[in-house]
Amino acid sequence: MTSAQPVVLIIDDEVQIRRFLRAGFELERFVVLDAENAEAGLRAVTLRPVDLIVVDLGLPDLDGSVIVERVRSWSSVPIIVLSVRSSEEEKVRLLELGADDYVVKPFGMAELLARSRAALRRQTRGSGGDPAVRIGPLTINLATRAVSVDGARLQLSPKEYRLLQILAQHAGNVVTHQHLLKEVWGIKHVNDGHYLRMFVRKIRQKIESDPTQPRILLTELGVGYRLAQQSELDMPQR
Amino acid sequence: MLGGIRGWKISAGASLKASLSVIGASLLLLALLTAALAALRNVADVGTVTIIYLIAVLYAAIRGGVVPAVITAVAAIGAAAFFFYPPIYDFRVYDPIHLIDLVLFIVVAVVTGQLATGVRRAKIREQGDLLREALIGSVSHELRTPLSTIVGSASVLAQSPDIANNAQLAPLVNSIREEAERLNESIQNLLDATRISSEGVRPHAEWVDPGDIVNVAIEHKSRLLAQHQLKVVVAPDLPLVRLDPMLVEKALGQLIENAAKYSSPGSSISIRAEQSGDMVRIAVQDQGVGMSREEQKRIWDRFYRSPRHRDTIPGAGLGLWIARAFVTACDGRVDAFSPGINSGTSVSFYLPVQPSVGVENSKAFDD
Repeated sequence: MTSAQPVVLIIDDEVQIRRFLRAGFELERFVVLDAENAEAGLRAVTLRPVDLIVVDLGLPDLDGSVIVERVRSWSSVPIIVLSVRSSEEEKVRLLELGADDYVVKPFGMAELLARSRAALRRQTRGSGGDPAVRIGPLTINLATRAVSVDGARLQLSPKEYRLLQILAQHAGNVVTHQHLLKEVWGIKHVNDGHYLRMFVRKIRQKIESDPTQPRILLTELGVGYRLAQQSELDMPQR
Repeated sequence: MLGGIRGWKISAGASLKASLSVIGASLLLLALLTAALAALRNVADVGTVTIIYLIAVLYAAIRGGVVPAVITAVAAIGAAAFFFYPPIYDFRVYDPIHLIDLVLFIVVAVVTGQLATGVRRAKIREQGDLLREALIGSVSHELRTPLSTIVGSASVLAQSPDIANNAQLAPLVNSIREEAERLNESIQNLLDATRISSEGVRPHAEWVDPGDIVNVAIEHKSRLLAQHQLKVVVAPDLPLVRLDPMLVEKALGQLIENAAKYSSPGSSISIRAEQSGDMVRIAVQDQGVGMSREEQKRIWDRFYRSPRHRDTIPGAGLGLWIARAFVTACDGRVDAFSPGINSGTSVSFYLPVQPSVGVENSKAFDD
């Protein structure tokens, strides 16, 4: 991060949406820049370093996916996409292009902030932060490759560790089925969705207190999986 | 309703006026043709050329439909019989060939009139579909953007210390958000229903753990379930299913919403997922208002709402209809049962299971 206060760039054509996003991020001590179209947004990214980009998919001048692609061609800055419901394929495509996560309109500020913080943490971890990811009873140490639940070390197969490792690197953010299949089983198995579903069930039996009602390894239907964040576990049970 | 009747009268009046002008025009055409034939009478045998009257009949049929066409045909028969078929200047007709001509006029009038009406209706329907598509598109954008602003702004207000620490204002801000979210759900239901009727459901099948569908649906409806005792039982070794998880999750969400809506706070709602023969069954059971036999027969109908709840519990009668459309699009089926009024309700989905894929035994799975 460039300063104590993270800088977020909001790219959205609706002034009312920009207004509440600005207020919400400023309440959480972010420095907020905004842009009302893709062109202005892309210009803003080159003018000054930002720590996070929040981009609406339905911009008037350029498709949101073009922004994701262009930014990713030279920067690993976290990108969160504001999307609409009912298009899982679109979300998967954006994530594959390099977006870090998405929230579906209408969304609450807390959800967007949680996804944003998770993406920011991934960035800090990449530059030498704490190598351990902790979610409730689960600890995944990315440096020593040790995984433990309530302090007891788990025996995991190399593939099981690989899957948890990828999810932990993106802890709090979604990882697509395709990405996991490619990274764990290889490109040949990218359509073997049933491998992944059964495998996740196996891992849940090792890390969840009730594997049929997981609280740590969560499902994003039609898109992928996500490790919960500590803040989600702290919330009261329903 | 009143507006509907008045609208019908106006449109009936308008179409009567249009018919009259078509009849007028075709009778005028008929008169012109008669004059032309009369002028040719001395140079040609016009007794067989009366077939030319079909021009006027076709015109009336295409522009006005069956009734103007038949009226024109009758007038054409009269003109042909009177002016051209022997005995001339007499309505009687001697030659049987000419009688066949006359029958032909009527047949052409009726058939063409019907065809033309059919084409016109199809055209109107097509325009209606285009209009509906355009409405769906603009409704989803025009209503969603303000709703996103309302939900988002309320959520920011709720987090600001000034509101969060004010016991009077905080619940108001929460109501704004919750009601806006409810409105969003209603709009989504209307859009789903319109889509089902206009273009049908197009499922995107993928492998999915039935337990994941159950947990996501519960998570989405957690706000509605806050007042109830929730029991969730997902069998640990359920087979995977291959279907569109989003459709089944939405459908299950409708069942959960109904269970919460039609049972009193504090009562229990049980959600189970288990194997049932060669299907996976997902069931939602409540201890609520139950159903009479009549209600059990009709709950899957579009817009059906029991008279018992119409005035007391809000709803559009779309939820279960949408749920069934989504589940059947995934080759599943639905079932609802209640022992009787105020005895609770159990609604189930049965989802097909493909033959075992035997993942665990494959070497690539976890070597």
